[in-house]
Amino acid sequence: MKIRSVVFCVILLCLTFAVCGCGSENDRLSKNELVYASTKDIRDINPHLYGGEMAAQAMVFEPLVYDTKDGIKPGLAESWGVSADGLSYTFHIRQGVKFTDGEDVNAEAIKLNIDAVCKNKERHAWLDMVNQIDHGEVMDAYTYRLVLKKPYYPTLKELALSRPFRMISPKCFKDGDTKNGVNGYAGTGPYILTEHKDKQYAIFTKNKDYWGDQAKFETIKWQVMPDPQTILLALKKGEIDLLFGADGDMVDLDSFTALQKEGKYAAMLSEPVASRAILINAHRPITSDRQVREAFQYVVNKEGIANGVLNGTETVADTLLSPTVPYCNVPLKARNYDLDKAKQLLNVAGWSMNEDGYRYKNGKKMVVTLYFNSNNAQERTISEYIQSDMKAAGVELKIIGEEKQAFLDRQKNGDFDLQYSLSWGTPYDPQSYLSSWRIPAHGDYQAQLGLEKKKWLDDEIGLTLVEPDKDKRQLRYNEILTYIHHECVYLPLTYSRTKAVYMPKLKGVGFNLSQYEIPFEKMYFEK
Amino acid sequence: MGFGRNCDDMQRGAFMRNYMIKRILWILPMLVGISFFAFVLITLSPGDPAEVALRVNEIVPTPEAIALMREQLGLDKPFFTRYVEWLLAVVQGDFGNSYVNNKSVFQEFIMALPATLYLSAVALIFIIFISVPIGVLCAVYEGSMGDIFVRVFIFLATAMPGFWVGLLLIWLFSVQLGLFPTSGMQAANSVVLPAFTLALTYIATYIRLIRNNMIENKQENYVTYAKARGLKESIIYRHIFKNSLNEVLTALGMSIPKLIAGSVIVENIFAWPGVGRLCVSAIFNRDFPIIQAYVLMMAVLFVICNLIVDILSASLDPRISQDG
Repeated sequence: MKIRSVVFCVILLCLTFAVCGCGSENDRLSKNELVYASTKDIRDINPHLYGGEMAAQAMVFEPLVYDTKDGIKPGLAESWGVSADGLSYTFHIRQGVKFTDGEDVNAEAIKLNIDAVCKNKERHAWLDMVNQIDHGEVMDAYTYRLVLKKPYYPTLKELALSRPFRMISPKCFKDGDTKNGVNGYAGTGPYILTEHKDKQYAIFTKNKDYWGDQAKFETIKWQVMPDPQTILLALKKGEIDLLFGADGDMVDLDSFTALQKEGKYAAMLSEPVASRAILINAHRPITSDRQVREAFQYVVNKEGIANGVLNGTETVADTLLSPTVPYCNVPLKARNYDLDKAKQLLNVAGWSMNEDGYRYKNGKKMVVTLYFNSNNAQERTISEYIQSDMKAAGVELKIIGEEKQAFLDRQKNGDFDLQYSLSWGTPYDPQSYLSSWRIPAHGDYQAQLGLEKKKWLDDEIGLTLVEPDKDKRQLRYNEILTYIHHECVYLPLTYSRTKAVYMPKLKGVGFNLSQYEIPFEKMYFEK
Repeated sequence: MGFGRNCDDMQRGAFMRNYMIKRILWILPMLVGISFFAFVLITLSPGDPAEVALRVNEIVPTPEAIALMREQLGLDKPFFTRYVEWLLAVVQGDFGNSYVNNKSVFQEFIMALPATLYLSAVALIFIIFISVPIGVLCAVYEGSMGDIFVRVFIFLATAMPGFWVGLLLIWLFSVQLGLFPTSGMQAANSVVLPAFTLALTYIATYIRLIRNNMIENKQENYVTYAKARGLKESIIYRHIFKNSLNEVLTALGMSIPKLIAGSVIVENIFAWPGVGRLCVSAIFNRDFPIIQAYVLMMAVLFVICNLIVDILSASLDPRISQDG
């Protein structure tokens, strides 16, 4: 009797648990809610700062103009004009648009926003645009003029970025400013942040007064799951509808391929968005020799990495930036895997093979170290692959995985021979990425320090960014990219892509130009 | 005779009182030592805190920005001045602000602590309600198939890493059987899987402890005597169980802080918003004020629990207070 009642209690308990289980797929269909899982919380989505998740910022806050595959398109500015000297941009603000707190979007609000960003220059040092702004003027209630110091050509592109030039209601400003935080998140975007439980989830509700095409989902739930394996299991259980991310932070390539093969989920890859490369430090004893750096270009079997490690999801990179990136279709000679040529170059550079299978010069063994971010499983595997290729050429490659901050410290100090590197991706490539080469805290700057023409390179980048003539600008880019290619400071590996895995009933999944944004507003469930 | 017992009680009380005072007085230097250790640890760790504070906010660490941040964080002051200032603030509950979001560290802990305490409490319930009956049954049916099976389970449960067990449990109970959500703490039953994962190693340990203690007690003279008196087996086992509990209770006391501090991995796998996750993200961001506070709070928790357990043990076994 006793045993029976115990068994009964256990069954009852299990049933209660099953009933209590979290929101089912049907619940979500009836609520018209999309659940997206991320390893990170949205945090503070103040659009003028960098503390929050970019995808969440882009859902709520809008720029003056949008950067799309088809060029710059109207955003909060209905139209715009650029002066002949390229120094002033006049924006005609869309009338009748309101922030979600009821404030009118007008020239004054735009001026307050752009001024607030400019008041915090040191935080935006990576973005040359902020340094180029001279001042802003309110011409009339709905006309705003932005005046630059120099004809900075990527102005519209950088105004369209996910941050910092996105508009928030001036009512949310703290003491007339945004650099010390904001009082609320009233934007004009397709979604409104209606609930945020720190480190757990965030709910975005459709902005019914949105000026553009209405979003199709009533709500988007941003579910935080720090462990990628848990995310995969939650997808299998049907608790979440969408995984979206770049460079293995949400779903690693093995799992991506496995999910694809399983056939139960839809999977999508974006066009190439960024460049995966190894930075070769020209300011270190062994790698300061250009011939050694060139030899390394032939040592690594990129095809093997693209097809073996990355399961064919990425294409081999012959040049640092893909020819599809603006201004980067420059005729440069591809350096394909050629072990004999690599050996020959190393011999010429004075590194001769010893009996122990390694190369020596003046009694010194050829040992170089490659550092990568230990949190990224993909980087580890690629590093191990390169290690075995290097061994075949008689180079001892030590590989060291470090946690992110230590990795960044090393970047800043230039304390590396080789370091894993990823370009910023569209829409930051090439202008913002190249601009960052001039900042000493970046690994690119440190690795290029050993180059004979480093000063010329930095000056040339600066001049290119303010070159008003498109053809002349292209010529300058040609020179920069040819020099960098010739100097072999980068060992390009592959062009990376953004990945999306989702339930087949979810439609409208696609990619924005920026790999950091997620176009939730276009997604819907198939009825 | 009565007078003699009174004297004994008084003497025991005095011993106990002295012991407690001694133990409590020891805590103070220990806490100062721990606080110093927590502070030094961060100072010795590679990387300049000023640079870290800049970088986590995506500010390019130029020499000027670093100098300004050093001044703001008081890093330009001598080491001991900084330590004393920090300690005085900590005593008043001010652990400084997080480098990442500039929120008060104390507030962050207060927000995260209930989730961890809830998780640990449920794990403790699992430990008690699973290990005690199984431990007793194993001792009663020593050498049976069930006992062998449990011993294999103990071996496996102690050997399996927590994160793996967690993922296996999610796969089985959540994905395959659909009984629980995979993670988070939004549903009422969300706590079951993380608490069970957290409890599993302890369950194995306590089953073994209870089983072995009871088997040892079975050999004692009082058991033989009780059998000779013809007492019922259930009564004998009740005595054996009671006598086996002392050691288990002591161990359990020390398991409580371990449960709270040991929830780091479980909280990450199950997306549980507790202090463990707070600490892990602080480590990745090198958010030093949070790491310092975590080390200090956990150390204080251990010291206090240790003290309580020691005093309880001493009151149960007078020999401890007399030796001590």
